[in-house]
This record gives sequence, C-alpha cells and structure tokens, in this order.
Amino acid sequence: MEMKKLSLTVNGKLIEREVPTNIRLLDFLRDYLHLTGTKEGCGEGECGACTVLLDGKPVNSCLVMAHSAHGREVITIEGIGTPDKLHPIQEAFLEAGAVQCGYCTPGMVLAAYALLKENPNPTREEIKVAISGNLCRCTGYNKIVDAVELAARKEGK
Amino acid sequence: MKKRGIGMASIFYGTGYGNGFPDVSSAVVEIHDDGSATVLTGAADCGQGSNTVLAQIAAEELGIPIEKITLISADTDCTPDAGTTAATRQTYTSGNAVKLAAAKAKKILLDFAAGVLAVNTIDGLDIKDGYVYVKTFPQKRISVAELASHARFKGNRLIGEASFTTHSTMVDPETGQGAPYYPYAFATQIAEVEVDTETGKVEVIRIVAAHDVGRAINKIAVEGQIQGGVAQGVGWALTEEVELKNGQIQNPSFTEYLIPTALDVPEVTPVIVETYEETGPYGAKGVGEPAMLPTMPAILNAIYNAVGVRITELPATPEKILKALKEKEQKNA
Ligand code: FES
Ligand code: FES
Repeated sequence: MEMKKLSLTVNGKLIEREVPTNIRLLDFLRDYLHLTGTKEGCGEGECGACTVLLDGKPVNSCLVMAHSAHGREVITIEGIGTPDKLHPIQEAFLEAGAVQCGYCTPGMVLAAYALLKENPNPTREEIKVAISGNLCRCTGYNKIVDAVELAARKEGK
Repeated sequence: MKKRGIGMASIFYGTGYGNGFPDVSSAVVEIHDDGSATVLTGAADCGQGSNTVLAQIAAEELGIPIEKITLISADTDCTPDAGTTAATRQTYTSGNAVKLAAAKAKKILLDFAAGVLAVNTIDGLDIKDGYVYVKTFPQKRISVAELASHARFKGNRLIGEASFTTHSTMVDPETGQGAPYYPYAFATQIAEVEVDTETGKVEVIRIVAAHDVGRAINKIAVEGQIQGGVAQGVGWALTEEVELKNGQIQNPSFTEYLIPTALDVPEVTPVIVETYEETGPYGAKGVGEPAMLPTMPAILNAIYNAVGVRITELPATPEKILKALKEKEQKNA
C-alpha cells in the first residue's frame, strides 16, 4: 500500500501522519484519529451521517479522500463543544428533544453549525434545505428544525 | 394543475406480543446509602427514550429526584431480561416491571422507617422529594439517605426484583376469534396533500396526529415518536418500496430506496390524547408503532379527495397517480 505524509488541522490541532493514499477522510478520522463521533451510514454520499466541516463547509467525509484534505482545516463533532460545556446548538438539540437514536445527530449538528455561521437567522424552510442532505429515520425532522431555530435564538442573545 | 385534498384515517392497534405468547419483562432496583438508586433493566433503548421513561417511573415510585437514578440497560453482563424493544411494549411491560421492583425496594425501606417514625403501619407512610414522611403529619420526616444507611447497617437489603407479564390470550386456531392483545392503542390522523395533475407528484402539506397513549410519561418523547412515525408513514405512502427479485433486494441504497428528507416531511402536529390505562405504569400504554399506521391511509384518502382517484398499490408514485388520472379521464369520456 502506498503511504504518504498527510498534514492537516483537525479541531484546531495540527496533525501529521503517514497514511495510505487510498483511504477516505472518514477512515482517517475514525480509524487513525479515533474520532468516532463521525458516523458512516451509507458510504456513498447519500445520508450525511459522515458530515464534517472542511474549511468551514459541510462535506460528506465518505466522499473525500484523506489526502485531498492535506493542508486544510477539518472540524468534526468532537470540535464542537465539550461534554462539560456544550455548544448552544447541542444544548438546543437536547432541549428540543431532537435526538432519538443519535446516529444522524453529529452530522445534523455540523450542518446546523455551518448554516448558522452563514445565516444566523434562518427561516424554517431555510433550515430544512440546509439539513436536507442529512437523513434521519427517527425524528421526522420536526424537532431538529425546532432545535436549529432555538439555537439561532440562543446564539442571537 | 395543483389540487388540494384532505383525508383521514383511524386505527386501533394491539400492543405487546399478543396471542398468548410469553410477554415478560424483569427489573431490579436497589436503594443506596446516599439516597440514590440503581435500576437494572434489559430494555434496549434504540432512541425511543425507554431509558428516560423507565428512570422517570423509578424516580416517581421511589419518591426521589430523577437525578438520583442510575439506570443500566440492555447489558447482558448484568441486566435481567426485558424482552425485545418491539411490539410497542417497553413503556408498558418494562415500565410495569420497574415500577413493581421499585415498590418492593421501597416497601423494605418503609418497613424499617415505620419503626423509626413510630407508626403502626407503612400505609401511613410515603416518600416524596427524597424524604420518608408520615402522611397525616408530614412535618415528621427523615431523608431516604439517612434511613437507607441505617437500614443497611441493621442488615436490611433495599433491593426489589420483579417481573411483569403482559396479559394476552391465544385466539381460537379454527376461527381466529378471541382477544389476542391488551392494551390497545388508538389513533386518528388527518393529512392535507397537494397533487400536481401534470406530474402526478404528491406533496404532503400538513399532518395532524391524535394518539391515545394512555398517560404520557414524557411528552416530548411521545411527540418525537409520533413525528418520527408519521415521517415513516409518509415514506410508506409515497416513495418506499423494497424491490425483490428471486429473493434479492434490487434497490439496497438510499439513491434507489427513498426515505423522506427534511423537505419531504410536513409539519406534524401531534395531539396527545391522555386516557388512563388502569393496568399501565401510571396509566401509560405505548405509542411506537401506532404512530406510523394511520399516515398512509390518511394520505391516500387525501389524494382521493384532491383528484378523485383511488390508489390501491403502494407506494403512490407519480407514475401510478398519472395512470389512474388517465384511466379516470377515459372512463368519463
Ligand atoms: S456515510 Fe457519507 S453520506 Fe452516508
Ligand atoms: S435520531 Fe435516529 S437517525 Fe436521526
């Protein structure tokens, strides 16, 4: 297997690793850095469970080769809030009851994070569009949209 | 042309395994020296919220705050069997098991407390907010923590274990008659849709979903179950179809098997109809499966109301709707 040095910033930390050239960003995050908050749902760009932020934009990390993130900045769910101090979006997800099995949640939170950075006051319709690449089988989305609205209000304060 | 229509559907649904099948949940509850308690239950929380609901039930029964409950679930190393998370049964069946187990642990504590508080029967005692108190003289009280540690030093063990079996009867194998389930859940949903007569596409505008869940132990969780169920019902009605050929699934991916996205699920208004189910824990029944059942027929009725065609084969794809519209036109011509 061909190896190559990969250097990138993950959750604000500079990381340098010798890794195979044929792995996906998702594999690098989960198997090499053990950041298992990022989930694999479909592996083909359809479900959004693997969403991370690449230079601030949400991407499906199952569709990005690890080495194409070289020199760039990645934020995963582990980089949003901490267990002791949740990010307002995470607090809002808890308050609104927007989490059931939780499999879609990391991706949903990151999609919401990217949306609110760009548009701090989205309408319900804009929220639905922003999370429409993230599938959820449990909640019916209503409470996730509620949560993003609530987070916008919390951050606006 | 876009045409709107409204449809309604009602269901009743037998919860539990039914038909005389063994339907048992077990639980263990222990009260500790610091006034906290541990609940062991085999119930697997797949996201529906049984961990929260069972902790709420234990806290209520023991009269201590929910923060003082440690619930360990679905761990074959240490939790007793609570059957499957299926058949809309965990709140009811495991809820009853946890309530019974907590009541047993509580009785041991109250038996000890009766001596300390000098009452002649534990019927005169109860626990609230972490204090055991005399019902007719509430000023007279001792904290659960103090009592529990004394009781334990005196050799008492504040452990309750219980199993609960949901009653059900096998139907007559010849006639299929009988009463296979108990309790039943009831629901009515109303759907508003918009059908595009050019493309055959159906958009679900809104769904109001009224569900008799017995007593709702956790309102937000019940709403979440209803909204999630409706979303699955929308997929069932309009897009989801497992295509089989020689026993092989032909569409095993999200590009070919379409589940609803945030843009496909309408605003769902849950209406929780609270009845009191005598046999349920604090009056609760289940909500899981019933939530998705009325959605599909309500949507199909709304399509009929909008454009006058009956779709009898699922899912109601644009192709099927256009075909039905054409047939209707030809018949009328
Ligand atoms: S795992 Fe990447 S989109 Fe599904
Ligand atoms: S909470 Fe289960 S998939 Fe979204």
